[in-house]
Formats: sequence, structure tokens, C-alpha cells
Amino acid sequence: MHIPDGFLSTRVWATMDAVAIPAVALLSRRAQRSLDTSRLPLMGVMGAFIFAAQMINFPVGNGTSSHLVGGALLSFTLGPAAAAMVMTSILAIQALVFQDGGLLALGANVFNMAIAGVFAGYLPYLLLRGRKSGIFLGATLSLLVSAFFALMELALSGVRMPPTMLLISIALFTVSAVAEGAITVAVVGALRNIEPNLLRQTASAPVLTRRLRLVLAGASAALVMTAIYVASTKPDGIDEITRLTAARATSLLSSPLSSRLSSPLANYQVSFLSSHSSNWLTHAFAGLAGIFAVYLVCLVLSRLLRASRSALKPEGI
Amino acid sequence: MRQARVERWSSGASYLHRRHPAVKIALALLFLISLASVSSQRVPWFFVTSAALIVCCIVAARLPLLPLLLSAAAVLPFAVLFALVAILAGDNARASLLIVRAYLSALTVLLLAATAPVSDLMAGLEFLRAPRFLLSVMQFLYRYLIVLTGEAAAMRDASLSRAGSLRVLELRQATGAAAILFARAWARAQAVHQAMLSRGFDGMLPRLHQPRFNAADIRFAFIGAAIVIAVRLAA
Repeated sequence: MHIPDGFLSTRVWATMDAVAIPAVALLSRRAQRSLDTSRLPLMGVMGAFIFAAQMINFPVGNGTSSHLVGGALLSFTLGPAAAAMVMTSILAIQALVFQDGGLLALGANVFNMAIAGVFAGYLPYLLLRGRKSGIFLGATLSLLVSAFFALMELALSGVRMPPTMLLISIALFTVSAVAEGAITVAVVGALRNIEPNLLRQTASAPVLTRRLRLVLAGASAALVMTAIYVASTKPDGIDEITRLTAARATSLLSSPLSSRLSSPLANYQVSFLSSHSSNWLTHAFAGLAGIFAVYLVCLVLSRLLRASRSALKPEGI
Repeated sequence: MRQARVERWSSGASYLHRRHPAVKIALALLFLISLASVSSQRVPWFFVTSAALIVCCIVAARLPLLPLLLSAAAVLPFAVLFALVAILAGDNARASLLIVRAYLSALTVLLLAATAPVSDLMAGLEFLRAPRFLLSVMQFLYRYLIVLTGEAAAMRDASLSRAGSLRVLELRQATGAAAILFARAWARAQAVHQAMLSRGFDGMLPRLHQPRFNAADIRFAFIGAAIVIAVRLAA
């Protein structure tokens, strides 16, 4: 499910990076604030555990085996914000050291697996108060949601997938999602026997549970509706949606950013070079300007947050 | 193991190894963007030039060329699968574009990882204002990756030597192994944390050495960026 570089179109990876970078910055702050410092080594070591656990093969029916993916398990034990941080670290290490997943596509991968996947996994666990069904549903949903986003991003990038291949990959993802659910239930069960206090208590869930529940329920409802819509319209319908969403995404991405930031550059380039090459130029500069804008916004936000936090500090103490 | 090989490569002392990691990360990103922004196959020589650029860097960094080229091929199975689909759909240009772009991008990231050790990469990312908390988690993760993977391998060996030559463990054994590994990792994290507290840990990992910018880094940044942009503009 790790998307390498070269697959996503500039619009898609730039948008996903623009979504993922502030989200990771925010979650990092939240994980840092809401947890005591003992969680820092804990998070790192649990990330290493996910790597190591992938060496253990679980038999899943007729001769095939599967391994733990772990996003849901982490959210049950560390909480969603910390789990998202750990998954982000795993994906970054995989992209940098193991060449598993691309660097420009890291934003997309982080969004699919570390943000959407982890929160989709935590919701059923929270709603069903840590029952077995909640654990199973959470782990299954976490993988399905990640796969759904990955397939959508590939489709939006114009990577061709004939209906049969799409169906096969959906079937494969469903099988591995169910396997992940079964493995997670079994591991959590074994964990309860060994050390029951490692699991996050759902009764003492944080105060914002209610608001979080509403947001997550809304998000998953929207997701399910989109999925049903995509599934119910025929393959040519998928093309149509792709075109529509891509057009909307482009207008969203390019109108506020590139009109302000890259237009002087673009004008310069157009007057400077022959007209046929201006197409990719605007693309490249829109991508660059987008990343630069996100970078600036993050810098300003972090500066502001730091300022407001230091202003609030006397109250906190 | 793959990461051991990358670590050995990254411990070199060539001109490229000595450059500031933030510059290398930024240049790698610029190069990746220039690769990703080519949307048509009208310009095969752009990819030839890009490949030549990477190969020149690999040679200049005194890295073994063939192992790096082979190592980056790990991305090919996935790329070839989608390329086959594109070929079946009659879109040969798109198929070759997909393979070439995915391979060159993977090679670029591998070159980055092979010229900067993980701790330097983290310092570079911190220079680019990535959240320090996240970077600390990544450093911990990388440090304990080898320890826990070794532990998992030992557990697997022990289980195999008792249960005969089963290819996969039984489900109950496997879940037990995973749960024990989890509990052990947790206990180890607590012990590590206590040891760190007793040595004055204040919530963030200390920075041992901070790479410093020098004139050569700034020259390298400008020349590298100029070459990448020139190649891209000429395409």
C-alpha cells in the first residue's frame, strides 16, 4: 500500500503533502502535549515493535499467511494522536532508509495510513468500548480506509486500472483487512492475558471524546457515501468522478496559491520561453509554490503557537 | 539487512557525504519534483540526463554503482505491474514513463540515504523545521529497530526449533509471540525511559553534533539547484 514516487500526478501529491504536513505538525503538538514524557521512548520502541512484528507470520486459511500492519493496535494502546505519530515515523523511516514508498508521495502515504487509517481504526474501538467486535471492526476498517484512499489517489492521478484489476485489488485488500482484524483481536486477547494494563481504557477516554466522535462519525459517513457512489456508478462513472474531482482539486489548489505566489514567475517564464513549454512550467511552479506556501504557513503557525503557548504558560503552572 | 548496507554506505567521507544534510534533502526534493513534473514522454533525453546526473553523483560519492542500481530496483515489481496494465490498455508511452520515473525517484532517495547517516538526516530535517518531537520518535524507532527485529528473529528460531520445520507458526503460537514481543517492547521502553531520566532527560533527545553550514555547502546548493533547474528547463 506504500505508493512510490512517480505514480501520483503533481496535483495529487502536492495536495496530499499540503494536507499531511500541517496535520502531522498539529498531531505532533497534540501527542507531545497530551502525553507525559515517558511516551517519547515508548512511541519509538513501539514503532520498532511494528517493524519486528512483521517478521511473525500468521497463517490465514489455506496455506497463505499474513502479518500485522499495526496502525489499529497502536491506536488501542497509545491513543490515536500518538499512534499517528508512530505510524508517520515508520513511514518516514521506510521511505528514507528502506525505499519503501516515495518521498514526494510521503504526504499521501502518511495521510492514508497514519492519519485516516489510525483514526478510522480508533473510532469503532471507542464506540464499542473496547469489545472484541470493536477491535475487529477497528483493525479491518483501518486497513480498508487506507486502501480506499490509496486507490482513489492513484485513480485521480490517471493511473489506469481496468475494472477487473480494480475488483481484484479491492478483493485482496478486503481479505487482508479481515486478516488484520483477526490478528489484532488475537494479539489484543493474548495481551490482555499477559498484561491487561497496557490497553488504553476506553472508560476514561479523553474529554473531547464527544466532539471527536461527531467529527469521526461525520467523516466516515461521508467516506461511506463516496464509496457507495463510486461503486454504484459504472467504471466510466469512475472516470467521470476522477475528471470532476481532479478539476475541482486543481481549481482549489491553483486559484488561491498560484495566482498570488507563482504568477509573477509564470508570467516571466511565459514571456521568456516558447509557449508550448509553459504547460509543464506552470505545473512545476504550482507544485513548488504550493510546497513553499505550505512551508511558510507551517512556520508562521508554529511561531504563533509557540508565542501563544508561552503567553499562556503562567496559567498552566 | 538492507538498512545495514545503507548505513555502511552512508558512513563515507566523500565531498557529497560532507555536505550539509539540509542542502542534500532540499536538492533531492528539487530533483524529485523535476522528475515528477514531466508529464509526457516527448523528452526521453531528459531522463537520460537525469540518470547520468545521479550516476555522476554516485561515482563522485565513491559509492558502489551496481549494488545501488540493484537496490533501487526494489520499486520495479510494483511499477512493472502498473506498466503492464498501461501496455494492455495500449498506452506504451505512459508505461515507460511510469517505470523510468519510479526507478529514478527511488534511486534519488537511495542516494540521499547513502550519503547521509540517519542522525544527519534528522538534523537536516530539524534544520528545515520538522517537528522535533516527531524526529525524536523517528530516532528512537531507528535505534530500536535492530534490537527488536533481532529479538523477533530469536523468538522465531526458538519456536521453529521446538515445533519442527513448520513454514508458518500456528495461529495461537504466532499471536502469543506477537503479544510477548509487544509486552517486552513496552517493558524495555519503560526501562530505557527510567535510565534516561536518571541521566537528565528533559523530554527531548539532546543534539550531539549540529552540522554547520560553510561556504562549500552554499556553493553546492546553488550549483546543484542550477544544474537541476537547467536540465529541467531544457527538456
